[in-house]
Amino acid sequence: MNSRERVLRALNHQEPDRVPFDLGGTGLSSIHITAYNNLRRYLDMPKTQTRISHVAEQLAVVNEDLAVQLEVDVRPLMPGLSSKFEYVFRDEGAYEAYTDEWGIGWHKPNDGGFYYDMYQHPLADADTLEVFKNYPFPDPLDDGRFETLRSQAEGAAAKGKAVVLAGICAGITEVYSWLRGYEQFFIDLAINPEYVACMLDRLVEFKCAYWERALREIGDLVDVVIEADDLASQNALLMSPKTYRSLIKPHHQRLFSFIKDQDAVKVFYHSCGAIRPLIGDLIDMGIDILNPVQISAKDMDLRELKQEFGQDVVFWGGGVDTQGVFYSGTPDQVREDVKRNIEALAPGGGFVFAAVHNIQADVPPENILAMWKAWQEYGGYV
Amino acid sequence: MDQLTSIYHIVLAGDMGVVQEKVQAALTAGVTAEEILHKGLIAAMDEVGRLFELGEYYVPEMLISARAMQVALGILKPMLAETGVEPMGKVIIGTVKGDLHDIGKNLVGMMLEGAGFQINDLGSDVTAEQFVEAVQNGGDIVGLSALLTTTMPSMEATIKALDAAGLREQVKIIVGGAPVTPDYAQQIGADGYAADASRAVTLAKSLVK
Repeated sequence: MNSRERVLRALNHQEPDRVPFDLGGTGLSSIHITAYNNLRRYLDMPKTQTRISHVAEQLAVVNEDLAVQLEVDVRPLMPGLSSKFEYVFRDEGAYEAYTDEWGIGWHKPNDGGFYYDMYQHPLADADTLEVFKNYPFPDPLDDGRFETLRSQAEGAAAKGKAVVLAGICAGITEVYSWLRGYEQFFIDLAINPEYVACMLDRLVEFKCAYWERALREIGDLVDVVIEADDLASQNALLMSPKTYRSLIKPHHQRLFSFIKDQDAVKVFYHSCGAIRPLIGDLIDMGIDILNPVQISAKDMDLRELKQEFGQDVVFWGGGVDTQGVFYSGTPDQVREDVKRNIEALAPGGGFVFAAVHNIQADVPPENILAMWKAWQEYGGYV
Repeated sequence: MDQLTSIYHIVLAGDMGVVQEKVQAALTAGVTAEEILHKGLIAAMDEVGRLFELGEYYVPEMLISARAMQVALGILKPMLAETGVEPMGKVIIGTVKGDLHDIGKNLVGMMLEGAGFQINDLGSDVTAEQFVEAVQNGGDIVGLSALLTTTMPSMEATIKALDAAGLREQVKIIVGGAPVTPDYAQQIGADGYAADASRAVTLAKSLVK
């Protein structure tokens, strides 16, 4: 079977020949440019131009030669930038900064910085509903976003790979919290529900406009679409289940239903952290795939998750503990972790192997290779 | 309901809108700033911490309570200083070098303040040298925060810098953040680890006894 058939069997909760493997298929299963360059050198791969796929997180585009060598089953479809936006980097002394198309300021320390983080939030001081209603959004339908999608998709399909289409912004609560600033976002959840309702409404509309056009134009070539929203941190949800269900869930429901109405694609949903209390809600709303399956977060034991939810949702991630042995352990410890995780998640299909979230700059290439070799050794179904 | 109980419930509910007038009313009625601090604010924030650890309060609820507490504390601070009320201890907090994530650290600062500690918040991306300088100006506890496995090494570097500056014995060092573990804290020679803002308060109190 080819990669696409392998992935589709897994997504349909059937066992393929082996667990499908993802590195670089999404912006949530990729690799920091530093770790990527280290890996290429370690594998003695030809020097080639390495490019950044996601500026803020400094993720690398996984070059085709490495994707082939590592037998990656998935290829990403990345929308282009809006024609009205370009990255303009500013020298701000100790930081390099840019402003994104939403008006959010990001900066990276010049000394010892790995990523860009937010430092300016345009709606931080907003205190009337009018300000939220009228805040200018980028254009979700700018042609620049769509121009190369078909050619990317056709390229991946020609290679027999599964095709995963990314969105054009982070999740609805993420974008809201980035426009507002985190503290004010949490305060809004507690005491300004009208602001939350207004913005999440507008953000769902923004996303739906994009998904409608993208799936109308290339839905026939797309297997999976990506949506995301961090609902939890290390040990708990970021908001109570009651708050989630009253203020956020209706918007998520509208968004996922809309996407499913456009085309028969699988919805890949990302949330970091200890999200177990809400997995049932996500499944009820129609998500097909859960990512990154953060093993190290509270109540995210893989065997328990597989038992409770494995028939209803695909686990895409969970391959190796990025907060644990992956960066700090030996290759043997990585191998043991991968073996354990595959044993927990693979039975019956419903599992696509990827590291838990993006591979970070501090992960030694020996450990990445150990992860891959362990997947090779233990990822077969026959 | 007496005024102190009223203030307690307002902070617990995070009602930022009325806390100022309630505190003023209590002071006018002769309740001391110290009583309001202990029975109105600290007691309420203690309960907030308990509810957070129980899983009944989440970040939004904790934040609005902390903000209400801060509004009240702003009114009381000059009076507390005047009457010589000492803070429980002085805590220097910051997110370590290379790391710009601060909401966890901010929550810890707010909860410690709500427990009666004085906070010197150095912000984020704080170098070891900046921590050393802050300790030279006085502090009982240093709290280090990191969200990334890639920036955790800055915690160890900070502890080593304090040691090299001859200041290690002067302070207790506590660490926290999503990827940080009790084992890691021990490995780098920290005095304690806390998993969340509420537990940080319990830890800090135990270290200043």
